[in-house]
Amino acid sequence: MLYKLGDFFICSSSSSGGGGGCQPLNAGVNLAITVFAALVIAAAMYSTTRLMKALRRSQTSSSSSSSSNSSNSSSSWIHLRSVLFVVASSSPASCSTSDRGRLKSPWSRRKRKHALTPQQWRNLFTPDGKLRDGVKFLKKVRSGGVDASIRSEVWPFLLGVYELNTCKEERDKLRTQGRKKYEKLRRQCRKLVGEGSSNGDSHSQGMESAESEEVVSARESLSSEEINSSPSPMNSGVLLEEEEATPGSGSTRFIDPNISDSESSDSDSSQSQDPPELSQSQTFPFPSSENEESSAVQSSEDFSTWQRIIRLDAIRANGDWIPYSQPQAEVSEERAVRSAEAVGLKDYEHLEACRIFHASRLVAVLEAYALYDPEIGYCQGMSDLLSPIIAVMNEDHEAFWCFVGFMRKARHNFRLDETGIRRQLNRVSKIIKSKDSHLYKHLEKLQAEDCFFVYRMVVVLFRRELTFQQTICLWEVMWADQAAIRAGIGKSSAWNRIRQRAPPPTEDLLLYAIAASVLQRRKQIIEKYSSMDEIIRECNNMAGQLDVWKLLDDAHDLVVSVHDKIETPTTMSSSSSSSLHHK
Amino acid sequence: MGDLNAKADYVFKVVLIGDSAVGKSQLLARFAKNEFNVDSKATIGVEFQTKSLLIDGKMVKAQIWDTAGQERYRAVTSAYYRGAVGAMLVYDMTKRQSFDHMTRWLEELRGHADKNIVIMLIGNKCDLETLRAVPVEDAKEFAEREKLYFMETSARESTNVETAFLTALTEIYGIVSKKTLSADGDSEKSASLKGTAILVDQDANSGAKGGGCCG
Repeated sequence: MLYKLGDFFICSSSSSGGGGGCQPLNAGVNLAITVFAALVIAAAMYSTTRLMKALRRSQTSSSSSSSSNSSNSSSSWIHLRSVLFVVASSSPASCSTSDRGRLKSPWSRRKRKHALTPQQWRNLFTPDGKLRDGVKFLKKVRSGGVDASIRSEVWPFLLGVYELNTCKEERDKLRTQGRKKYEKLRRQCRKLVGEGSSNGDSHSQGMESAESEEVVSARESLSSEEINSSPSPMNSGVLLEEEEATPGSGSTRFIDPNISDSESSDSDSSQSQDPPELSQSQTFPFPSSENEESSAVQSSEDFSTWQRIIRLDAIRANGDWIPYSQPQAEVSEERAVRSAEAVGLKDYEHLEACRIFHASRLVAVLEAYALYDPEIGYCQGMSDLLSPIIAVMNEDHEAFWCFVGFMRKARHNFRLDETGIRRQLNRVSKIIKSKDSHLYKHLEKLQAEDCFFVYRMVVVLFRRELTFQQTICLWEVMWADQAAIRAGIGKSSAWNRIRQRAPPPTEDLLLYAIAASVLQRRKQIIEKYSSMDEIIRECNNMAGQLDVWKLLDDAHDLVVSVHDKIETPTTMSSSSSSSLHHK
Repeated sequence: MGDLNAKADYVFKVVLIGDSAVGKSQLLARFAKNEFNVDSKATIGVEFQTKSLLIDGKMVKAQIWDTAGQERYRAVTSAYYRGAVGAMLVYDMTKRQSFDHMTRWLEELRGHADKNIVIMLIGNKCDLETLRAVPVEDAKEFAEREKLYFMETSARESTNVETAFLTALTEIYGIVSKKTLSADGDSEKSASLKGTAILVDQDANSGAKGGGCCG
């Protein structure tokens, strides 16, 4: 399409999809969404949004959603997609609930079992609330995920908040301790909000300027547990040791995020300082009155920077969880606004109540995490990882500890020195190399063998490429693998018995899945792409094009065929010890 | 294939840089697809779009790289500065801090990119005039001092977005076409800009002043 603007003729490059020209329709759609937001209740809102998204998608892309029957020859739709649009991350295919039913993946041909049901889940426990059979539990989850109604109970096990062999009493104790610990972090955050600048405000961006009105409202806490806790006037170093901590509970109960898994290049260096929060909080570079930025060794990022970016990202968080989280979707306007004020969130006027609420919870938990793990602090992408957890877990403190468990591995991707992400990319590269040397040679020719083109997939674990439901399926299966390894049952005889039929659990299922997604496109890559840019484009455009069960199936095939070549002995051994609560 | 590579006379690589949430991705979506997405997510690493346009009878393919704003990602994103012939340095005119950081971004850019890269300073979100935190004069002064083009834009209202990109691309084209770079149709070769002085373009400045939404 050609149209004239000034002295230039502009030719839209969007040859096939027609997304490139100057259609005013999008603006209309967005406006309509905004208007609707004010009028419609959440549930109705969602179906409308879906419709709009579908509309927008069909307008910008000629592809149908969800690539339903993608077999190995998935190239048919790919070549049409030469149009350059980085599919907006907010619009992965909005089909979801029925994905599993519709997709004919080889997984189902192999009689893939269904998601772990509530009934099965209950039956797994002894009278004193101990899991009878951890292997059975994890096998079940890795073959079909978890039923939505029990996710909030199951995830803490998958994410290592609770060890598999704990009884109910122990877990209750841990839960209480975890809640207190989280509340302390929150109190400390509120104090720092007062010291640093809270942001989102359009006028005061100075690091020093305090937004004092937010501190006042911050007294109102977000979740019911926090109501009794009031901001402490003590200085933050002391805060962590204050009265509520029962002796012993404050020090070594929770994992030092630095002690972690095989991905950690530096785990040796950090083992020693085990009481994590205490030491961290004292060395933490938050802006204090006497030396503003001097302690920010690694970068100029400090807590107030994180707070600012956390809020920016929270406001624009995905809303695709809404139909799957009814209680949160139905939160009242009043409660939502209250929660926003409690964390000093602003600029949310355009959002529906449930998204304001969600954003506020994101802020609360991410800030707490930044304090808990100041080496990582906050890095963009982390909100993508937290958002589904927030949607599933109704209590902030539970969401926090699940997130900590999730981040134990994922945090390395966010390291300033990039060692983690490079290691991961390198591993994807290795997987591709050992599976498909032809493709690998082509990548080498394009100087793309470093696999930088899957960067985003690694960092946000397919969150941008998959729908909410699909993401959760993938993550649950991945977590089950990691939990198996953590519990030391990855190599057990129980697992070996099933090894003939299923691949061994791996720490790196995600990387196998990523490699699988690239291998699924090997034909186009080899035949059509002559530069790395084109591969990046292809990867950025995978949103809405992936079939999660097919992906997992391919990933498992990959694990079976190249696992032994890829895995190094250290990978399997080092992680068995880690759990969030070591006793 | 549907790819326009074969037809492009020139391929210009342009990078979009600036703080988080100043609207880099939105500017690009507006320019390349004429879209504006109210809840666009933070960019992770780099993404890119292309748009082909006709300048002076030549098919120019603009390959525009959108980068993550957070400093943490800078090591990744700065790797993509190499080979760029143009840069859009974006701040949010309702956030003073994002403008104050322009100096750092500029240093970063000059440290990694070609010396003669064409740089355009962009004050985005000019539809929010009531929230303005960066006076036009400040930005103009900065742009003149640093020899940058300057324009205020609104990705939301589509104000000056085309003009900003086109100004930069045309300037690049002007430099490149003078520099006898032959049109090499089939490759992704990016032009280089050796030895060209860049002056502040008066039209670009006046564009900022008179830019519809900003008055």
